[in-house]
Amino acid sequence: MFTKSSRKPLALLAAAASVALLATACAESERDPAADSSAPFVFASAGDIKSLDPFLASDGETFRYSRQVYETLLEHESGGSEIVGGLAETWEQSEDGTEWTFNLRDGVLFHDGDELTAEVVCANFDRWHNLTGAWQSSNNSYYWQTIFGGFAENEDEGLPDSRYVSCEATDELTAVITISEYSSIFPGGFSLAAFGILSPTSLETIADAEITGEEGSYTLPDYTSEPGAVAGTGPFTAQEWNRDQAEVTLARFDDYWGDPAGFETMILRAIPDETARRQALEAGDIHGYDLVAPADVEPLVEAGFQVPTREVFNVLYLAFQQETSEELADIEVRRALAHAVDRQRIVDTILPAGGEVATQFHPDTLDGWSEDVTTYDYDPELAEEMLADAGQEDLTLDFCYPTEVTRPYMPAPRDIFDVISQDLESVGVTVEPKSFEWTEYVPNTDSGECSLYLLGWTGDYNDAYNFLGTWFSVKNDAWGMDEPELFDAMAEASGNPDPEERNAAYQGLNEQIMDVLPGLPISSSPPSIVFAENVNPPEVSPLTQENFSEGSWKED
Amino acid sequence: MPTTPNAQNPAEDAQDPGAGAPEGSGGTSLLTRKADRIDRLAELMGPRDDGSGGAGIWLTAFRRLRRSPMAISGAVVVALFVLVALFAPLIAPYSATAQTWGGEVFPNQNIFVGPRAENWLGLDNLGRDQFSRMVIGARQTLLVGVVATLVGFGAGALLGGTAGAAATLGGRWGALIDNVIMRVIDMMLALPTLLLAVTVAALVGPSLTTVMLAVGIAQVPIFARLLRGAMISQGNRDYVVAARALGVRRHKIALTHILPNSLGPVIVQSTLTLATAIIDAAALSYLGLGNPDPSFPEWGTMLADAQRFLSSAPQLAVYPALAIIVTALGFTLLGEAMREALDPKLRK
Repeated sequence: MFTKSSRKPLALLAAAASVALLATACAESERDPAADSSAPFVFASAGDIKSLDPFLASDGETFRYSRQVYETLLEHESGGSEIVGGLAETWEQSEDGTEWTFNLRDGVLFHDGDELTAEVVCANFDRWHNLTGAWQSSNNSYYWQTIFGGFAENEDEGLPDSRYVSCEATDELTAVITISEYSSIFPGGFSLAAFGILSPTSLETIADAEITGEEGSYTLPDYTSEPGAVAGTGPFTAQEWNRDQAEVTLARFDDYWGDPAGFETMILRAIPDETARRQALEAGDIHGYDLVAPADVEPLVEAGFQVPTREVFNVLYLAFQQETSEELADIEVRRALAHAVDRQRIVDTILPAGGEVATQFHPDTLDGWSEDVTTYDYDPELAEEMLADAGQEDLTLDFCYPTEVTRPYMPAPRDIFDVISQDLESVGVTVEPKSFEWTEYVPNTDSGECSLYLLGWTGDYNDAYNFLGTWFSVKNDAWGMDEPELFDAMAEASGNPDPEERNAAYQGLNEQIMDVLPGLPISSSPPSIVFAENVNPPEVSPLTQENFSEGSWKED
Repeated sequence: MPTTPNAQNPAEDAQDPGAGAPEGSGGTSLLTRKADRIDRLAELMGPRDDGSGGAGIWLTAFRRLRRSPMAISGAVVVALFVLVALFAPLIAPYSATAQTWGGEVFPNQNIFVGPRAENWLGLDNLGRDQFSRMVIGARQTLLVGVVATLVGFGAGALLGGTAGAAATLGGRWGALIDNVIMRVIDMMLALPTLLLAVTVAALVGPSLTTVMLAVGIAQVPIFARLLRGAMISQGNRDYVVAARALGVRRHKIALTHILPNSLGPVIVQSTLTLATAIIDAAALSYLGLGNPDPSFPEWGTMLADAQRFLSSAPQLAVYPALAIIVTALGFTLLGEAMREALDPKLRK
């Protein structure tokens, strides 16, 4: 999941907003949900959604909403990371991996009454493929570009050729999607929430929708903020999006093809402050929230709330930008810094229970994880020696961290920053702290503003390339690392259709990466989610892709 | 004015035209009240017959101060605070930034270390000695307070002095200059102090210098108006008339005669401003506009930090909060006592 979601820019605003939310929520809390099964289930997240059409989004909060309303060809199994059928009941790939045949479910209805057919699926893919103008900006089609590269007609020369070739409806319920080359990002790519299938009527009404404005300040078309303008097939329909209160109201879709949703109404509400989220839950204003602060887990369990454990599916890392700081181009310096950081302490004292020190750039739950990578144990004396040998006793580095944000992989960025910078200072490195708000932080680190910075990634689907390829497939400004051999090996591994060979290649890549050491993987930790006592919670997902239709009120 | 210590001045409420209106209903009543108080202080140095038997105004004021419990308690607090701040590195038993006991505190499991023999106030959330941080933090707080007050004092005195001198000695053009400067000052005065400070801080970006500048600039209008008032009330006194009759040059009269005699109320105001500056600086740090280096102890930042652990380790928030309150109270007590001592009408 991409990390561009954010909190409100100012703490003041956030505080004011949460006070306002609490105030408005009080009126609702008087109803007793247990007594009335039609009561809305209110779930708080850290940020508001960006758009009602998931294609335009790249952030987890929008996808949390869109997974309830739109469905994709493939999905992840409930509570796991295995890929299972979504709108497609079964699927197969041709031997060379370029032809994907999807056998769609029969009798799937859209919210507006249309029927799902193979032609509808193809119409959706063709629409994305043929987008023009501002739609081709990576701000508006991030995931299309990640998975399929470019468009039918690329308007920017920097865009790669499109991997998407065609989609053919061979019969009523069989769609065949052809891609230009095999890649390990499939079938995972077909499960991304951004590729939720829209109804044919919706596609017609939005065919002329345009994005106006300049890079960085786009105005999305009106339909993206009109609930019901675009119909999906999911268990819920979008009823209302109240931007002032950062609240999306969903209603059960009665003609859903699968098991109907347990809640009649569900409200997704944004409460940026984690303390305010906890207080809202304790006050009964909300019935669950995501990203529980590690310290709150135990008190919440003791108070009778349900805090199911997620599997670990993310990684937090400290990046060494080799171009921003010339000193970091020296492998000995990078190794020294890696030895200087006490990662175990971060895991023990700051991260939630179940977190562990990461030895490589993806969690051990993924195939391709290698036991034989070079490890860098905490050894400040050795670090100091290595720095002296490299002639960098007086090293000065700027170090960035984000403010006013918690991420699934990083519960308290400043505390983590504090610990690491203290560790670095104690081996003689002078740290110049730099902080940015989240919305500026991601672009700044991407463009190489920072020599050292903290960032992480939550996997979108079960494939090592989703982690490694995101960072190390080409030379980029986020890392400043120029290792053509590594990039070639990465492309080769991803293009290998044989799963066993591919995993072996990923293991080799992990070992290679940890020798090159572009950054220091710090930890993998499970983000916590909490539900009220009177709720049967949905299965929690390691990919943070909960399907809320599984939840219901407990009967008593 | 939420951040300006309120004066116990009965005469002021009676003069306040907006007294009947609800609090904060408009800028006028706030502006008038604040302006009135500043003007009142400025007048104190004017001509009067208070029967003090020829003793200088400072001497009588000091005699009154010595008997005031308010002044004494204020002075004790201020003296203690200044001593701690000045000798902070000697007093602090450990480094304020070293996470020496980092392995003993587990904020993710709500395990904190309270007061114990080696750490008098316990450890903070990263295993640093809380007592050392408080002591070093005092130093930051004093530095911010003093520099901010100096900034306010300097810029305010320049503007107010120019306006005052122009109004007293400048004739028609002088009145115009005075008018222009004072209207600008009035506009600044109409903005709440903290809002003005936040605006400045937002423009410059977060740093310790920003806080000092922002808080200082927010104090400029008060000092300017005060000095101008004092200078105008001095302008009609006999020694000025005499100097003019003798043909002393006007800028000389302003600089060597009027200005030194007008500084009294400004110095008193400085004491009060220090209290405001400390609170405002803490508020700015609390809002995340302070020093971006998080390992640098500052009471406001420490308070903002401790918020997250309020339910499991309230002491982390209590220490800096208490320190801010007590220090600000000390300066306010001393400042108010000095003001009252200078004001014969308020004498009991």
